[in-house]
Amino acid sequence: MSIELLIQAALNGFGLAVVYILVALGLTLIFSILDIINFAHGEFYMLGGFVTYYAFAVFGVNYFMTLVLAVLVVGAAGVLAERVVFRHLRGKTLNAFIVSLGLLWVLQASAQLSFGVLDKSVPSAVSGIVRVFGLIMSRERLVVIVTASALMAALYVFLKFARTGQAMRAVAQDPDAAALQGVNIEAVLALGFGVGCALAGAAGALLAPVFAVSPTMGALPVVKAFIIIIVGGMGSLPGAVLGGLLLGAVEGIGTLFMTSAAVNMLGFLIVIAILLVRPRGLFGVA
Amino acid sequence: MLLELRDVSKRFGGLQAVTGLSMTVAPRTIHGLIGPNGAGKSTVFNLLTGVLPLSSGEIVFKGARVSGLRPSEICRRGIARTFQATTLFRESTVLDNVLIASHLHAAMAFVPTLIGTAAYRDRERSVCTGAQGLLASLGLADVADQRAGSLPHRDQKALCLAMVLATAAELVILDEPLAGLTAQESADTMAVLRALRAEGKTILLVEHDMRAVMGLCDVITVLDHGVRIAEGTPRDIQANPAVIEAYLGAEESRA
Amino acid sequence: MSRRPGLSPALGFGLLAVAGVAVPVLTRDSYYLDVATAMLMNLVLTLSLRFEMSTGQLNMAHISFMGIGAYASALLVTRAGWSFWASLVAAPLVAALVAVPVGRIALRVSGPYYFLITFAFLEVLRLFFNNSFVDYLGGPSGLVEIPRPHPLPLSGGAIAFTGKLPQYWLMYALFLVAAAVLIRLEYSRFGLVASAIRQRDLLAETLGVDVIRYKLGVFVLGSFFAGVAGVFFAHSHQVLHSSDFGLEPMVLLVVFTVIGGAQSVWGPVVGTLVLSVTSELLRELHHYEILVYGAVLMVVMLVFPEGLVSLPGRITRALDRRRGSKARAVGARVAP
Repeated sequence: MSIELLIQAALNGFGLAVVYILVALGLTLIFSILDIINFAHGEFYMLGGFVTYYAFAVFGVNYFMTLVLAVLVVGAAGVLAERVVFRHLRGKTLNAFIVSLGLLWVLQASAQLSFGVLDKSVPSAVSGIVRVFGLIMSRERLVVIVTASALMAALYVFLKFARTGQAMRAVAQDPDAAALQGVNIEAVLALGFGVGCALAGAAGALLAPVFAVSPTMGALPVVKAFIIIIVGGMGSLPGAVLGGLLLGAVEGIGTLFMTSAAVNMLGFLIVIAILLVRPRGLFGVA
Repeated sequence: MLLELRDVSKRFGGLQAVTGLSMTVAPRTIHGLIGPNGAGKSTVFNLLTGVLPLSSGEIVFKGARVSGLRPSEICRRGIARTFQATTLFRESTVLDNVLIASHLHAAMAFVPTLIGTAAYRDRERSVCTGAQGLLASLGLADVADQRAGSLPHRDQKALCLAMVLATAAELVILDEPLAGLTAQESADTMAVLRALRAEGKTILLVEHDMRAVMGLCDVITVLDHGVRIAEGTPRDIQANPAVIEAYLGAEESRA
Repeated sequence: MSRRPGLSPALGFGLLAVAGVAVPVLTRDSYYLDVATAMLMNLVLTLSLRFEMSTGQLNMAHISFMGIGAYASALLVTRAGWSFWASLVAAPLVAALVAVPVGRIALRVSGPYYFLITFAFLEVLRLFFNNSFVDYLGGPSGLVEIPRPHPLPLSGGAIAFTGKLPQYWLMYALFLVAAAVLIRLEYSRFGLVASAIRQRDLLAETLGVDVIRYKLGVFVLGSFFAGVAGVFFAHSHQVLHSSDFGLEPMVLLVVFTVIGGAQSVWGPVVGTLVLSVTSELLRELHHYEILVYGAVLMVVMLVFPEGLVSLPGRITRALDRRRGSKARAVGARVAP
């Protein structure tokens, strides 16, 4: 087993991992601000994929414009979901969780009824390969990695420097103190949910050309996202990034030695092991 | 000595809530724990009842170490408490609240409970009678079937006390038992506490009503910023300059 | 114990028992018998799920224990040559045994982590059923040719279980046992303590209740009954596939339980009965079924989270308030 092969495998895993990290960031952001575990998060990812299908594949809109569109549309859908549904369940974690199960079914069934059950393929935005340090990667993957990283950087800048972003962090830490400081809690909660969903939508848009678009495309990424945030610590953004990198590396290398089904199981077993030893994850707050 | 705290400390991350606290509580006394806000009194209660783990030191009750045990085990050994906010099972009835609190005396093994053997039924009946008696003695007989969450404040306080008594604990820890009560209600409660002492119970309480504390307690321990600054009879405490300083200092910082 | 409002447990159980006997009297049509049998099996699953929820735990892996019971029984009968009747006892015990370490692990964490870790177990077990020990578990094609329950020898002859009617009676008997145990526990001290744990587990702990032991006991017993349902499922369905024990059927169980009302032991009964019928009506329209259930679940959790069983109480209270305010209004006009 050459080092090159290992690195190539890790790199391939990394290409997927960055997208899953985006999804995980959205999920953990929502949890940190609103204390909600949104089981329907994968459906917002799917929504991003479908926006991409229609805008890019069907109507021929420029791919990068499509990405922007996906972010905006799915973000708006997230805000709507918070305003209409989750707003009424503050403080009731179990009920919010059950509602998110219902929302998952509503969104997925609506998609299946509207779009049909079959996969729809989206053409690649870019083609060709690049060589990175003697290893091969498709240009498409590179675009995915670069764009995902850019989005993560943008999120970081937003949370650290933008007033709304800082307000979100304040609410995540201590909602009462934030309210006393004059933060508009309702707006922050709605926007927080929106941003979290927008990240998932972006992820769906990025992977739409790589895998097919289908109503059930959100199932796998959301499961990966849950694994990532448990490993990294629920509510922790750096934890999501680190957890995602770890998962990507483990899965990338894992596929060299075992079947993909076994790799999936491995991910879950890691989750259980982590929860046993360190329930709050790498960076989680108790 | 019924209860001994030996050099107990508790740290939360960077915040030192309690430092090197040593104190003893004698049996059949009413022992007050006072101090300005943030002095660490509720933390001490949480440490005593096993809700929080100690950072260092130990707590000894009836000669045996209790620090590090689960709260349910500590209750079994004879320590029970009320909480600062009236913490009750709000959806359950008043009677059910006391029946739950009687759990240590009522619980039977799984199979007798499942089948409903004669022994189980007898045990439940006697626990129920005991609970009703307890409610009556605290003036709650009329509201026994009402939802606990719907009671007025005074009755909720009385129910909290009933629940603690239902555990038959020897050491009863009360967190602000007189908060929110009128003068008459406070006097009634104080009479109940004195009666409990006469029956052989030991009471450790936190209170902000200074007249009540001075009138009720045999011994008072004063905390400030997690450190014991004085201990003695009410007379000693009232004259103690360090105590006056601590309270005045608190007054000034609030002004 | 305070007298609880609503149905007396004996009466409720009696009604269910009588209704169960009435079904095969009213119909011999195999379609209706099938539906009724499935309803009884779902009742065992939702009653046991609700039992776990009575201490505040939503165990997303509940259906996995059904799967363990199912696969264990299938293997004991087909590979180890056991009689169905022996495996009916042993397989749920296997499920209960597995529940002990799983429960211990899951109960180390609380709230949101608990949902997620039990979901992780759900997925691990589903993947396990789908991909591991393919020779024994059937892999992605499933485990087939599981025999019906073996004939039960009696003094006059033997009861065979090839027809719908004997299978119905078997499930009915299993249901009666499960319902008797779970209803009885709910109305005993067990149920009282469970309610206390659900409301405020810290308070219960400081009053002497060993909360972790209680929750674990509930988890194991609930999983045992899920295993019982699994055994019946394996030998009546005769085919097992990992997708029978995945997220979708688990969410369906949650829907049945919650829509009826998880606070009361009768909630799952109402929910399962109502929704089993709806399920049958929507059988051809799978996606519509999912859509409707999802929407109903959301509406129920938002508007009346205590479920359908709480509706009569809510309506009478609303009417009382209406009457009360009318009386006050009248009084105001009459009095000076």
